[in-house]
Amino acid sequence: LVERTMSRQTLSLMQLVYGKSTVNSTDVKKENDSSEGEESEDEFFKPKEEVEKQKRREGLDCGIVNSEDCSKTAKFADLKCWKDKDFEHIRDRFVTGDWSK
Amino acid sequence: MGKTAYKRLKGSQSFRQRLVLATLSSTPILIEDIRTDETWPGLQKHEVSLLRLLEKISDDCVVEINETGTKLKYKPGIIMGGKHLSHDCGVSRSIGYFLEPLLLLGLFGKKPLTIRLKGITNDPKDPSVDTFRSTTLPILKRFGVPSEGLDLKIESRGVPPNGGGEVVLAVPIVQSLTAVTWMDEGMVKRIRGVTFSARVSSQFENSMIHAARGVFNRLLPDVHIFTDHKAGPQAGNSPGYGISLVAETTSGCFISADTAISRARAEETSDFTDDEKKDLMPPENIGQQIAFSLLEEIEQGGVVDSTHQGLLFLLCALCPQDFSKIRVGKLSQHGIETLRNIREFLALKFVIKPDPNTGTVILKCIGSGLKNLSRKVS
Repeated sequence: LVERTMSRQTLSLMQLVYGKSTVNSTDVKKENDSSEGEESEDEFFKPKEEVEKQKRREGLDCGIVNSEDCSKTAKFADLKCWKDKDFEHIRDRFVTGDWSK
Repeated sequence: MGKTAYKRLKGSQSFRQRLVLATLSSTPILIEDIRTDETWPGLQKHEVSLLRLLEKISDDCVVEINETGTKLKYKPGIIMGGKHLSHDCGVSRSIGYFLEPLLLLGLFGKKPLTIRLKGITNDPKDPSVDTFRSTTLPILKRFGVPSEGLDLKIESRGVPPNGGGEVVLAVPIVQSLTAVTWMDEGMVKRIRGVTFSARVSSQFENSMIHAARGVFNRLLPDVHIFTDHKAGPQAGNSPGYGISLVAETTSGCFISADTAISRARAEETSDFTDDEKKDLMPPENIGQQIAFSLLEEIEQGGVVDSTHQGLLFLLCALCPQDFSKIRVGKLSQHGIETLRNIREFLALKFVIKPDPNTGTVILKCIGSGLKNLSRKVS
């Protein structure tokens, strides 16, 4: 059972990054390429609803098409306030921590 | 020109990585729909500036932008490098935005690159120049980049909104990188850092250091944070202060966190309501917050911090056809986008496996075998 969950996790991470069904990667890639080519055929005007629909079909990726190009992710807003418990938790990541573990 | 096969892309996302990968893999690209539906459509100032910078350091590259800036054609040339170059990065993004792609491109140039960059040295959005010195350059050395000729000198500071900072970047050339097996993140043995203040009292720095030290003191005695007070022309055009921290581990990994505080850029004031609050954030809070955010990066347990994931993946992908294995903390959004871009341009996929015991992620790949073709054969 552990093994199975492990493999599922692996798959899901790969899926998260590279999209669905990463099992036979070469086929998928080809498919992706061709469909992209069709979509980007020069259509100058497009009703907005259609665009929205298409975006929804594309799923996850649509939101970030024009997202900001920024490597830094740390934001102060969602920073938790560190309590004593958290310090104990991280202590072993320092040379001053308990080495026996 | 008309016969060149362009790779078609959409939107302004990962603009820098697309350009870098296009250049390194000599793939002409055509980006459409750049912010078509937005109030300010098309390429933004810093993106155009980056394109100008690419033209500056390379030979025979062609950039075509349509009238509204929503469409871009880019045909990469040969990266020439060269000395005594200079570029004004403007004030819409900081110098860190330009350094990230420039470092990679410089490595694969014909001649070593020395370039003077003017603009904003520290801001909250991009990694600061201090972080580049303390963290990014050591990461490059891991991949076999020689340390001589690799340098970033900070000549003057500049913060938003008016900038005025100047740095000199030197990047050596390599024939190829060396693949790494970089799995041991080690334990934090020391924390270093640097604060800066420009056009404000140097007392701000002491407050930040005091607050940050207060957080680390219960974990580690070896904490040294240096100060860098600038005055006069070296302080740039706007007042501001900031801090950059780096945790060095027993296995030679560098984990960084940084930020800077200054008045917001004019165009941003309307967008963000919390600017007022940010402006007023006192140095004590900054010191504490940045210490917390460094601890959070340490907690993640990768060999690099979340900011440098993208760079790490790119370096692995650009290695010779050799096996690389690395460990990172939680995949960042930027890291994921990087992996996608790498697949797009280099047809290279990483094997990604979570390590449930430590909550980290292990990535394996075989490099694309990129050689520096523009380098002169001597």
